[in-house]
Amino acid sequence: MPELPQRKVGIVACSGEELAEGTVTRLAALRVLHELRPSETVTICLPLFLAGGEGDRAFARFYPTIAVDGCGKRCAARATEQLSGMPAASVVVSDLVSEAGLGRPEGARRLGANGQQAVAITADRIAGLVDELLGGQWSRRAGSFVGLEPAAPSEDAPQAGCACGSAVPMQTVDVDGRAVPLAALPLIFEQFRGAGKAPGPEVTEELLQTVRIYNDVPVGTDEAYLAALAHEYAAFCSDQKGRP
Amino acid sequence: MSAPERHVVIVPCSGIGKTYGTVSREAAYEVTEDLRPGSTRLVALSLLVLGDDEARAAVATNPTVTIDGCKLGCAEKMVRESGGGVSRNFAVLDVYRRHRDLKPDGIAELNEGGLQLAHALADEVAAAVDDLAAGFEAVHHA
Repeated sequence: MPELPQRKVGIVACSGEELAEGTVTRLAALRVLHELRPSETVTICLPLFLAGGEGDRAFARFYPTIAVDGCGKRCAARATEQLSGMPAASVVVSDLVSEAGLGRPEGARRLGANGQQAVAITADRIAGLVDELLGGQWSRRAGSFVGLEPAAPSEDAPQAGCACGSAVPMQTVDVDGRAVPLAALPLIFEQFRGAGKAPGPEVTEELLQTVRIYNDVPVGTDEAYLAALAHEYAAFCSDQKGRP
Repeated sequence: MSAPERHVVIVPCSGIGKTYGTVSREAAYEVTEDLRPGSTRLVALSLLVLGDDEARAAVATNPTVTIDGCKLGCAEKMVRESGGGVSRNFAVLDVYRRHRDLKPDGIAELNEGGLQLAHALADEVAAAVDDLAAGFEAVHHA
């Protein structure tokens, strides 16, 4: 089944302001985003899964996502799973601190020495997981690795993803008279056209399979979705004629 | 029987990618740790996103001040979604418009302008806390 190329890994930090461990999650995530793996990672603010739009909620279905939590409540991992998609991996700072034999981090506002050490080991763990996720073949549909084929290399210039710019591209289509926003559809169309797939019944079936990876397609609506996708993809290809 | 202790709950934006989010967080820390430690309590947005019972109860039973870093207004939206009322909402951008000389920069660490902007914001939040906490006193003496 086709899936879009895995160019980046998502990082969702709990950022819990009440605990020093929450500050560790935020600073470790920033270190990975800005210094360790700037080309390979992107982030989103956890509250946007509720306060944002459909594109924000599609984040963990689109990007294999690492949830970074400060404590055993695991707000980031659990909220990501409930509101967006199953995280590909999970890191809990309090566990890492115990494993490393460090003292408990102190100073939610200004981390002390233990906290800075915790940032370093957490950032290293996240970076290692990023490498694993990009080196393996993560199935968003299955929520597990399906092989070890290398992912497509990033063609993007190195830059850290901003929190507010990480929403997955959406396109609203008319499905049987209803306006339905579909996550990642612009990227799916681009990928199909780039692969030389001309509009037609077989390609439309394949489009629907790919759309299902990132969107809920209600039971009994396949025909309506197929009609909508056939129409939209034909229009997309027509618009793109003459473009490279 | 004494009445349960009440606090003004402060909920800052938990933004990770922009300077204004860091300013909102710094201002919240300044209010809860330095300016009004006895009458305020910080509640993390992540707990409200998850639906943590204690965090939901805190915003439902205490006056709540939200501080948002951007126009998406996550803090204000999440408190309302969690069953709380928002007594006052502050937007970092509004405060910056009143203090154009304090240009914030940096995310992991704020520059001097950002720290001063957070300080100005914290002063405004502290004044709002005083107004809200005065209501506790009035009830206590009634």
